[in-house]
Amino acid sequence: MAVSATLTSKSPATPRVSLARRLGRSDGFVAAMMMLPAGILFALFFLWPFISGFWLSFHRWDGFSDPRFIGFGNYWRLMKDGVFLLALKNSFIFVVVSILAKNVLGLALALLLNRVTYLRGFIRASVFVPVTISFVAAGLLWAWIYNPVFGLLNAGLDFVGLASWKRSWLGDANVALYAVIVVDVWKWLGFHAVIYLAGLQTIPSELYEAARIDGANARRRFWHITLPLMVPVIFINTILSLSGAFVRNFDIVHVLTQGGPNHATEVVITAMVKAAFTNSQMGYAAAMGYALFVLVGALCAALVYLLGRTRFKV
Amino acid sequence: MATSSTHGAPPDSAGSFSSMLERIGICAALAIVLFQTLYPLIWVLFGSLKTKSELINNVWGPPTSPVLDNYIQAWQMAEMGTRIVNSVTVTVLSLAILILVVTPCSYALARLRFPGRNIVTGLVVGSMLVPPQVLAIPLFMVARDLGIINSTVGISFIYAASIMPLSIFIMRSFFMSLPFDLEDAARVDGAGRVAILVRIMLPLARPGMALIIIFGFIEVWNDFFLAFLLLRQPEVQTIPLGLVNFFQQYDSMWNLYFAALMITTLPVILLFVLMQRQFIAGLTAGAVKA
Repeated sequence: MAVSATLTSKSPATPRVSLARRLGRSDGFVAAMMMLPAGILFALFFLWPFISGFWLSFHRWDGFSDPRFIGFGNYWRLMKDGVFLLALKNSFIFVVVSILAKNVLGLALALLLNRVTYLRGFIRASVFVPVTISFVAAGLLWAWIYNPVFGLLNAGLDFVGLASWKRSWLGDANVALYAVIVVDVWKWLGFHAVIYLAGLQTIPSELYEAARIDGANARRRFWHITLPLMVPVIFINTILSLSGAFVRNFDIVHVLTQGGPNHATEVVITAMVKAAFTNSQMGYAAAMGYALFVLVGALCAALVYLLGRTRFKV
Repeated sequence: MATSSTHGAPPDSAGSFSSMLERIGICAALAIVLFQTLYPLIWVLFGSLKTKSELINNVWGPPTSPVLDNYIQAWQMAEMGTRIVNSVTVTVLSLAILILVVTPCSYALARLRFPGRNIVTGLVVGSMLVPPQVLAIPLFMVARDLGIINSTVGISFIYAASIMPLSIFIMRSFFMSLPFDLEDAARVDGAGRVAILVRIMLPLARPGMALIIIFGFIEVWNDFFLAFLLLRQPEVQTIPLGLVNFFQQYDSMWNLYFAALMITTLPVILLFVLMQRQFIAGLTAGAVKA
């Protein structure tokens, strides 16, 4: 239908129809009207901040007085700012550890769920519950699990006789970042497992039967059937957790540690918010956002390229 | 590492020792998984019903005599009433704006022919890849220029804008999957584009709408970051902000704090249990389509 509509509007055999009528009939006008509201929202809350923020990142500005143009000054400063570099390092640790944990545990959990034949609905729902609760609720819940005095974790260690492992999980700079990552993994594990489960269920069972007849044991079946066929799903899960882990960790860090102790759990987004609202350095904070954006974009592109290449080899 | 077999496949050799061992292994692994997801939540439920001293003496178990008064106190101290009203307002408004904006746009992208359609689709996909968090500072400046800091209506527009690209993407693929015949028949009968969209396509696209509503609900209802930036006065703040404030203000009243946590988390969990299938579909929609 759409084809015939464009044909009639383009055909020269309609000279008597007025211009207004032709505009009303043609898809172009209707389409423009239909996309207008979305276009306005996009322009106001995406394009405008994207461009004005980029411009802002070349200025020194406290948010109130006149901004002063300093060229790449903010970006040079980023490269020498110890707190920012630490935050960047922490963000990278956060990303690498949480991606590995989410994918390895998520696949293991999916394999497990795929074997379970009873109470499937209940078990799948239970695994997914943490995904639906907010980061704030998850974070506050874990703040109490980690509490050094009354927390569940230390009580549990006491219970199993590992009292020497007890510590202030969020107060100890050596483990705080990993304690925060655990919460992130806890919250998202069910999400990745469900995606892996959907992927596992597309693998035809004939492949496993054939392999079994050929004498392949469980481990070989996993390495030579499951894993190669799961590459696209691994790819999706990695991309999803990659962009999420870089930028969606403000809530959890803010709730659990606020970046402390002594910036041990500072990530780029928390450093950015502090620069903007604690130190009133709007331009500098904007520069942090763009630096992060470029880094995440480059990493995602590299990953797409790398995984795309391995996909052809399989 | 458990091996993989498709679901419903019969066990290889029932009764043999190794398969029994495997079953025990699976059960044990499952028990650990269920324990680590569910017990923390049950622990909060138990804690919310204990007195403060019992919380310290009886860390693990259920409360000896449930104290429901915790819930009343937590409700009052955290000003839960206002918070819930704010959260409901913001969520409903954002989702209404989202639907009104996304439906015509994704229909146009899926079904209408016009110059520049591929460019617009490219813009949608491109903006899906830019996380709103990196734009936080400029977004705050824009909101300040527009005078919508501390406005529940204003933040609703920003929420709608931030989940719009993914929603358009999902709805567009939904519209594309619907048959053309119905539309043609209506066109022959003289219906215009808008009439076709409202009377014929919308009822058919209802599952797609359910998907973006659920996805949007989780995003907006649970959001802390944008609300933290843009809602600075207590009387306009949403539930997540209220929880954090309560936690930072009364950090020694654990039992009340657990009660507040329960009041805000339980409705979402109940909603999830009732609409599990749609929830999981909504949250994984982007991945499945990719």
